[in-house]
Amino acid sequence: MKHWILPAIILLMMGACASTKPPTQQLTQLETSIKQAEQVGAENYAPLELREARKKLEKAREMVSQEKYEEAELVAEKAMVDAELAEIKTLSSKSQQAVDQLRESIRVLQEEIQKNINREQN
Amino acid sequence: MDNSHKLFYGGIVALTVILIGCGGPPQNNPLLIQAEESYRQAESDSLIVMKAPVALKEAEEALEQSQQIWREKGDKKYVEHYAYIAEQKTKIARETAKLNAAQDEVSRAEAERQKVLIEARRAEAVAAEQRAKKALEEVEKARNEAKDLANRLSEMEAKQSERGMVLTLRDVLFDFDSANLKPGASNVVQELSNFLSEYPERTIQIEGFTDSVGSEEYNRSLSQRRADALKMALIRRGISSQRIQTIGYGEQYPVATNMNEAGRQQNRRVEIIISDENGIVTQRNQ
Repeated sequence: MKHWILPAIILLMMGACASTKPPTQQLTQLETSIKQAEQVGAENYAPLELREARKKLEKAREMVSQEKYEEAELVAEKAMVDAELAEIKTLSSKSQQAVDQLRESIRVLQEEIQKNINREQN
Repeated sequence: MDNSHKLFYGGIVALTVILIGCGGPPQNNPLLIQAEESYRQAESDSLIVMKAPVALKEAEEALEQSQQIWREKGDKKYVEHYAYIAEQKTKIARETAKLNAAQDEVSRAEAERQKVLIEARRAEAVAAEQRAKKALEEVEKARNEAKDLANRLSEMEAKQSERGMVLTLRDVLFDFDSANLKPGASNVVQELSNFLSEYPERTIQIEGFTDSVGSEEYNRSLSQRRADALKMALIRRGISSQRIQTIGYGEQYPVATNMNEAGRQQNRRVEIIISDENGIVTQRNQ
């Protein structure tokens, strides 16, 4: 019976102490992702998501300073998807606006043409 | 089961409880349930399935991880961590689908705009062609009218002079020393009134002339009365008096000698000057 207990304990211990060094790379990636979201205009199109990502970045840094590396990594991972969502939401909103503008320009164009035709007929 | 065994199992349970950090059977996790529900909705949305398969797959993987940890009664922290990731990835899938759909729409709208522009240019070309055709027709019509006018006037023996079309009538209108129109004049009057009805933009000036027999004053008055008589005849046929000017010139402006009867016959005349299309009659050079 004992043969599975030891590996199980080791596994659990490993899980618990997986992160023994600060997640520097993840934090750098996260900063890049947030910057990218900012660059496309997330401040205007996805402010809540962007704020969420920034807040979590702060929290991750705090965790690192308290040497809670695993916590820091988890928070950073969450912040990554927040930043990703902020960026994609911004892009989709902008595209939708482009569609609306294009549709409007077509409508105006057609109206103008109709006016010309009517003028021509009168 | 002996005491050492009891102790051993007790130790395992305690260890498990400490490591997992949660006592008793795991309850349904509300965050996981919410993530499952969000994913289920996204998965049944054909737009998301078609336009954002990768993001949806990532959401599914995070969700499965959360579910697995929950099933294995793992740490609630990890269940919720992956539930959060799944939830956000589902939202990302939704936005990605919207983004891709919008971009498709932009391409479609761009194509439609091009089509409309081409259509507009074609409509413009057709309109221009119609305008050109109309202008050409108008030119043609004006030319025909001018030709028709010339024909009509030549029927009345009108002549093109530097004053425009001038119709000269002799003898036919009046008897000697009379301002009454002869019965034979009615044809000329009819022709003239037809002409004026047909060309409402034209006006005429009737000028009377005599030979040099008799006093100058008498001749001037006679030529005026003759011009007026012709005007009255035209008015009776419905031509507006506004369109007919009359002048009696008497013996002035002879066209032939007054020394013989042939010349005097030439000088006894009425000239009808047809205005241009603006109703302007060119006056004699004084």
